[in-house]
Amino acid sequence: MVPVVNTGKWSEKITAQLNFFKLVARNIANRPYRNLATIFAIAIIAATLFSAFYLIGGAQESLDAGISRMGADILVVPEEYSSAAQTVILMGEPNSFFFKDAGFEQIAGIPGVAKASLQIYVGSLAGQSCCSAPVQIIAIDPEHDFTVSPWLKENPGVMLGKDDIIVGNMIVGDIGSDLKFYGHTFHIAGRLAKTGMGVDMAVFMRTEDAYVMADESPVKAVQRVTIPRGMVSAVLVKVDPSASPTGVAEKIRTQIPGTKTITPNGLLNAVSVQLGAITRLLYSSMLAVTFISIPLLAFISAMVANERRKEVAILRALGAKKTYVMGLMLAESFSLAIMGGILGICAAMVVFVGFEDLIAFSLKIPFIAPPLLTILADACLTLVLCIGIGGISSLYPAIIIARSEPYETIRKGES
Amino acid sequence: MIEIIGVTKSFSTDCSEVRAVDDVHFTVNRGEFVLILGRSGSGKSTLLGMLSGLTRPTAGTILLNGMDISELSDDAISELRAKEIGFVFQLSGLILTINALENVMLPTLFCPDYPGSDSRAADLLTKVGMSERACAYPSTLSSGEMKRVAIARALVNAPSLLIADEPTGDLDEATEQEIMELFRQLNREGTTIMMVTHNSDLIRYATHTYRMTQGNLIKSDGALSPRLTLEPRTNVNDKVSS
Repeated sequence: MVPVVNTGKWSEKITAQLNFFKLVARNIANRPYRNLATIFAIAIIAATLFSAFYLIGGAQESLDAGISRMGADILVVPEEYSSAAQTVILMGEPNSFFFKDAGFEQIAGIPGVAKASLQIYVGSLAGQSCCSAPVQIIAIDPEHDFTVSPWLKENPGVMLGKDDIIVGNMIVGDIGSDLKFYGHTFHIAGRLAKTGMGVDMAVFMRTEDAYVMADESPVKAVQRVTIPRGMVSAVLVKVDPSASPTGVAEKIRTQIPGTKTITPNGLLNAVSVQLGAITRLLYSSMLAVTFISIPLLAFISAMVANERRKEVAILRALGAKKTYVMGLMLAESFSLAIMGGILGICAAMVVFVGFEDLIAFSLKIPFIAPPLLTILADACLTLVLCIGIGGISSLYPAIIIARSEPYETIRKGES
Repeated sequence: MIEIIGVTKSFSTDCSEVRAVDDVHFTVNRGEFVLILGRSGSGKSTLLGMLSGLTRPTAGTILLNGMDISELSDDAISELRAKEIGFVFQLSGLILTINALENVMLPTLFCPDYPGSDSRAADLLTKVGMSERACAYPSTLSSGEMKRVAIARALVNAPSLLIADEPTGDLDEATEQEIMELFRQLNREGTTIMMVTHNSDLIRYATHTYRMTQGNLIKSDGALSPRLTLEPRTNVNDKVSS
């Protein structure tokens, strides 16, 4: 052993510590350019994965909330307007359609129907003070309604009285303020929670008030609106717990020709078809990004590993075991994957927080932000996938380098 | 300390088999400074690679402190290397992402039971005259400075053997002399040193000199350098490979 006189000076002056983690950190920090490239590549993967999870989760959340808000087991609409009705419910694209309300009495009498409630759909004019686009006006009978009434019960003190309206979450206007539709002034009595579906862009009012609004429209509004008496747009049906909604829906279609029934399951299926295309696109993007990125990252890893062949050989010559060297390289890859993953997730979150409604509107899917726990779970899953991708892509180069003949590598590097 | 018995290393090429080291026998005792001279491709670096366990011999036995290293597992050889062998390479082999002090401390990561590594690393830097550049990164050091740091690194785990492969190959004459004086001082303090070089001027620093030619090891006759007469030499003209 070489005798070394410890003067104590250095111990006071320099308190450097070197360990595995510090070595990993230094290797990452002191190779900024290529590590930034890797982090950026992984961030793109993470953003794609997280966006897909977030959108799919948000759409599912929205559907659950929207179906729950609808509150009915069956929606009966005119046959020719069934797809328009679905669009009203899902996306809030305004429409007006009617069928004779004689059907309402018939529906209420069909065995298995516990409750029935009618609704009248009228599209508002464009350029109302609440909103840039037309909104869906839904006239209800508060006595029989089970769409808004349960919400009113949950919010004691909120009444749907004369000229009162309950607005969807996306309608602009404070509670207590006034809104005009077809020249008639309404008073905002309450605001529904966000569902991400059509109801967010709807305004609920009493049927009597809707008729008054229509009657006054030739004088007060720039454009007349007609709501024919004795006609309704939709009948919402609550089925007996002992009866099957499908069976009751079948009876309604048979007994009242010209009607179409929409069930939440059917609505879900319709949305699933619509959402399916988006979901497939998102999953395809995820797969494409993943499959493209793995060889790309593997290529970057291989280049890095090749560049570091001599460094690894020196570590081996200094006494590092193969497992240590592999651990070092994998730890660096995992660290970069975590950094890239977090960056990608944060970037995607910033975009979603800023442009969530625009994105959902562009994709034509019902959407509300998933709960925090779901977001955290999605973020964790994305991180795990990123770490997996980072690990897989660097594993093979790490094995090859760790197994290479160190002395030959050092000699070749010196020649 | 080191006993090499009939060690051979062969490489297969497309059309023939090359014997880089051919049935070499020799012994290095504790405290010796052994210099192996030879031209490029003579097999001297391959011999050092086998001595350090970085490459395995095709045939023969290598005993380090009585332990047959050719029988050890890769992990065991790595541990042995971390504890018993210090390396100095031609191009210093410093890790570019850590500073000089951390480079010196690096081998302690592989020999974690060695106590007081950080203060010893700092003291070794002082010993090689690099205390003022402890926090400098390798890219800012000169070749000679890098070599000094590499020597400090090779000594940090207090190895029983220091292996140097062409350590002055890239240095100017003045720096070469400084580095060789440092090796001589370390040897006088008790470190066993094995060095390979193609520079016959350096034999004056060694206690024992060998020449490697086409895989065979021959004890030097002392005529390689006129300076040899200034230093006491051991037996000459003995071919030690059988």
